[in-house]
Amino acid sequence: MWDRREPERLEQRIRVERDGTVTALSGKIDFGQGLRTAFAQVVADELDVPIERVNVVLGDTDQVPFDFGTFGSHSVAQEAPLLRKAAAFARRQLIDRASTKLGVSGEKLDTDSEPLTGVIPDRVVLMPETRRKYAGRPTPHVEARDIVTGQATFVADVRLPNMARGAMVRPPARGAKLRSMDDAAARKMPGVIALVRQGDVVGVVAERDEQARAAAAAVEADWHALPVEGPTAEVPMRSDPEVDERLHGAAMRLAQTYVLPPIANAPIGPSAAVADVRADGATMYVGTHRPFGVREQVAKTVGLPEKKVRVLPQITSGTYGRNSHADAAIEAAILSKGSGRPVLLQWTREEEFAWSPSRPEAVLEISAGLDADGHIVSWRYDEHTNVHTAAGLDPGVLGVTSGRNAVPPYAGFPSRVTLHIEPTRLRTANFRSLAAAENVFAIESFMDELAALSGQDPLAFRLRHIDDERFRRVVERVAEASGWTEHSGNRRGRGIACTVYHDTYVAQVAEVEVSLSGAVRLVKVWCVVDPGQTVNPEGVRNQIEGGIQQSASWTLKEELLHRDGRVMNTGWDTYPIATFRDAPESIEVFVEGDESAPPTGVGEPGAVPTAAAIANAVYAASGARLRSVPLTRERVRKAMPA
Amino acid sequence: MKLALTVNGERREVDVPPNTSLLSLLRDDLGLTGTRYGCGRGQCGACYVLADAGVGAPGHGARAVASCLLTADQAARMEITTVEGLADGTKLHPVQQAFIDGDALQCGYCTSGMVISAVALLARDPRPDETSIRDALAGNLCRCGVYGRAIRAIRRVAGSS
Repeated sequence: MWDRREPERLEQRIRVERDGTVTALSGKIDFGQGLRTAFAQVVADELDVPIERVNVVLGDTDQVPFDFGTFGSHSVAQEAPLLRKAAAFARRQLIDRASTKLGVSGEKLDTDSEPLTGVIPDRVVLMPETRRKYAGRPTPHVEARDIVTGQATFVADVRLPNMARGAMVRPPARGAKLRSMDDAAARKMPGVIALVRQGDVVGVVAERDEQARAAAAAVEADWHALPVEGPTAEVPMRSDPEVDERLHGAAMRLAQTYVLPPIANAPIGPSAAVADVRADGATMYVGTHRPFGVREQVAKTVGLPEKKVRVLPQITSGTYGRNSHADAAIEAAILSKGSGRPVLLQWTREEEFAWSPSRPEAVLEISAGLDADGHIVSWRYDEHTNVHTAAGLDPGVLGVTSGRNAVPPYAGFPSRVTLHIEPTRLRTANFRSLAAAENVFAIESFMDELAALSGQDPLAFRLRHIDDERFRRVVERVAEASGWTEHSGNRRGRGIACTVYHDTYVAQVAEVEVSLSGAVRLVKVWCVVDPGQTVNPEGVRNQIEGGIQQSASWTLKEELLHRDGRVMNTGWDTYPIATFRDAPESIEVFVEGDESAPPTGVGEPGAVPTAAAIANAVYAASGARLRSVPLTRERVRKAMPA
Repeated sequence: MKLALTVNGERREVDVPPNTSLLSLLRDDLGLTGTRYGCGRGQCGACYVLADAGVGAPGHGARAVASCLLTADQAARMEITTVEGLADGTKLHPVQQAFIDGDALQCGYCTSGMVISAVALLARDPRPDETSIRDALAGNLCRCGVYGRAIRAIRRVAGSS
């Protein structure tokens, strides 16, 4: 399901256009991770053209080859080598044709030549690295100029002739069924074109946005609340022999529980979609991780064959996983079909908080034993959480989704790791790094606690349990870069945390200042990352910095409150995130990829160790060991030693 | 309701329902979609525009304001500049250029608002220190986490880096 099976064909990947530009095609989606830039870099290099002449088309279901979706920081790793190969193959064909024509007849090149086609061979001679002009060099986002001038077309910026606006009528809580409704008053309101109902989906289409919202608010709907039942599952992730025996026989033992609340994706741009559904076909302008998934769902919803639905992904607000669900697209399609007009639907801020899927909460229980020499001899880990993906509870992938990074990256001891999936009334799904951020918070906090229990330096203690050379190197390098010392005095302290996320190695040191009141200020972060071969070092740095900044916000500020399936904090005033004032003085990112290793992802790994690095720093600064996030002033104050 | 207002130096006439926000007027009537909806409550900065209430008005000079909170007829009494109106022909405003050069963006949804806040800040204080920059942009939320890069970009324009 994750891999394409069809052979890759050149014409589905690279088109040399009549005007001398090059079109590169991919089913992956750019949410700001810089994929468009990285793809343009490799194609420009192989075809030896200026990067400005490369036009990257992402996710247009009429043009690009099928792709399951953009997840797990795989995109550059999967697609850049493929596009590089395709472009190299195109270049070889162009040169072959040119030499044939020139050699045989001496005629000038024929500009009417047939498009380049063919199965891309496994082995293609690539441009020598010394001749690459873009890959490996810092390259700003190719769409940057359009963005800073306001010209970029985000989903909600799409304007079609005769386009109307939509607004939804929402139930009081998730999973409610519509019993009856009275829309007589709403229908008479100014600008209203249609009241649309399909099953439990109810919405208004009007000429203007405010008119649609006012009419939606005037619909009297009677909802019947149903209890939401969730599935449960237990997944053994790892089960070595002798875990219990060794734990009981250990010289020192420790057991702790770590708790993380649900948090919101909280994109700055709420979900949006434009649908133009007609009797003979539909065109959808959307933000999505899965254009082909949207095509399938929309086709089913409006009763058209898939081939008649074209999905055109637009630039979209960063959503960090939330767009794995096609909510706004499906609703917009229903409204367009019901009104006979192209419809733009953009959710309100309140809807985005209340109805989006969120990152599930997690409770992590860890026990471990150490020998008299301070080596780990046994490790027991139970992860309790909810489903992490839009696909729901799929036993085949639970281990790599909800159980991601539950198995510790350390060596030399037996472990038993079990994932427990429990139901929740909250709607939960994909969020940056899935469960890795939660598991690594627990594991890396616990590593510090074990070091403290046995009187060891947290850095030295980790290094004793690392046998992977690339992992060891990032940890040693971050210590060097930060001038590692656990204490820096004057209410300041430093914490370290590290992990291996989908073969990307990442280690961080955080420095915090903790006031007597318990308020935590993040002062500095150092990060060393090894993502293998690196296409755009500046892009990697930007992604890692962003991951750290976002994760610092999760750790210090964020908690989604809910009761009876209803989200309670639905605005920036009640769900505050980090602002310019909270940004640390510096985030120093050292991109030190092993160039002999294949490229791995960087969109998520930066966000993974930050919570533990901060919590460990808070401990170093104040003696307060926090096992629950967010690290609020009240919690830190309470945990401070008297 | 018929209105005439000045946007990006041009006189524009529109006919909108009463209480239409400046944000929807810009996006839906004038096609200036670079100003974006984020919350509708002035809490995120995505919809910031420059508003100059003219000589004699309190706080004279262009200020960054949330266009979602201004009504169209309030805006008719001011000169409005949106992100589309900052460049001088093909020459970008120095803040726009600095955001490109410093790769101070990821998804770019919040970028228009940030650029507007930075332009307003530099207009009243050409040499802001880092704290002033943080304070001036505290109303601009970014989820991708480019705060550090944006601060550095603005400092470069101010020559204070």
